[in-house]
Amino acid sequence: MTEMWVILIYGTFVLGGLALYFLLPTTGRSTKMAGAIFGLAALAGAMVLCSSRFLSASGANAFFYLSASVAIGSAVLMVVSEKPVYSALYFVLVILAVTPLLLLQHAEFLAIALVIIYAGAILVTYVFVIMLSQQSGPSIYDRRARSPLVAVLAGFTSMALVAGQMAVLPQEWAIQGTLVSSEAAADAAEMAGVGSNIEMVGRAMVSRYVVALEIAGVLLLVAMIGAIVVSRKKVPAEGPGLGGLPLGKAGREVPPF
Amino acid sequence: MNDIAPYIFLGALLFAIGMVGFMTRRNLIVIFLSTELMFQGVVVNLVAMGRLHGQVDGQIFALFLLVIAAVEAGLALGLVVLLYRRKGTLDAESWSTMWG
Repeated sequence: MTEMWVILIYGTFVLGGLALYFLLPTTGRSTKMAGAIFGLAALAGAMVLCSSRFLSASGANAFFYLSASVAIGSAVLMVVSEKPVYSALYFVLVILAVTPLLLLQHAEFLAIALVIIYAGAILVTYVFVIMLSQQSGPSIYDRRARSPLVAVLAGFTSMALVAGQMAVLPQEWAIQGTLVSSEAAADAAEMAGVGSNIEMVGRAMVSRYVVALEIAGVLLLVAMIGAIVVSRKKVPAEGPGLGGLPLGKAGREVPPF
Repeated sequence: MNDIAPYIFLGALLFAIGMVGFMTRRNLIVIFLSTELMFQGVVVNLVAMGRLHGQVDGQIFALFLLVIAAVEAGLALGLVVLLYRRKGTLDAESWSTMWG
């Protein structure tokens, strides 16, 4: 019985890898339709897996299915889009879809922080850089993927192995009784007066992880100084690269900020 | 029976998709976006694991991961702008000077 479910896990990853391989941009015949069919099949397989009693007793509900489907779908679209702006916008969608999952896991503070920092700050930086450096129209290097077969094989094989093990291991731990049920633990923490999620995160952050917190602050400062130094540097425009690549407006000198 | 296996599954899928994007795309900006996608997979996994153990440590690790992502975005995008000013293109392969 267990073997059947493990085979289904690996099969889902195989279907997902095929979908991604067919969806990646190529210069030849478009294979988007085959990719979409394989992708829907993989999504259906994943849903069967998540709704099965093998993988979860009660963890997956309608919110999980909806958010996870949106997250995976927009992640795939992000990777295969030919325009970097679309990639950035699909990534915002990934974050907005991951946030409800964190809320389902009772990680309220992290969910809000993720939306504010990722969708609000980091992605704005990305969009700014895209606007600063993008040529008009999709360029040749966005329309052809680099060795898609090897990449899909490497990525999905390693992750299928990890997921296949991870899906089985926690059950064994749980059977051994070394782990308490997470719901029960959360309830116990509430009972003990530890407080809300924000309070628990804050307490741990300034007690157990205070050194890491300080180091993170120093890291941010160093990165800020480094970014200023890097972006003020004047570079000579070199012109087009080697190999006769079509480079658009190559060699145009752009004044520093 | 455990509750977190679907989340681990989702995290692995997000990580795999990001990894494939990192390896296949040639646009420098999309390459860095793919690393952010891999971070998302890790965040989902960290939170799920922390929940399995009934602790908030996973969420704190994820918060530090946000710091690293912000630092990486700031520095890497500065470097990307610098590289673009030098070559006039975002193609990662334009920086391979030895072909063989």
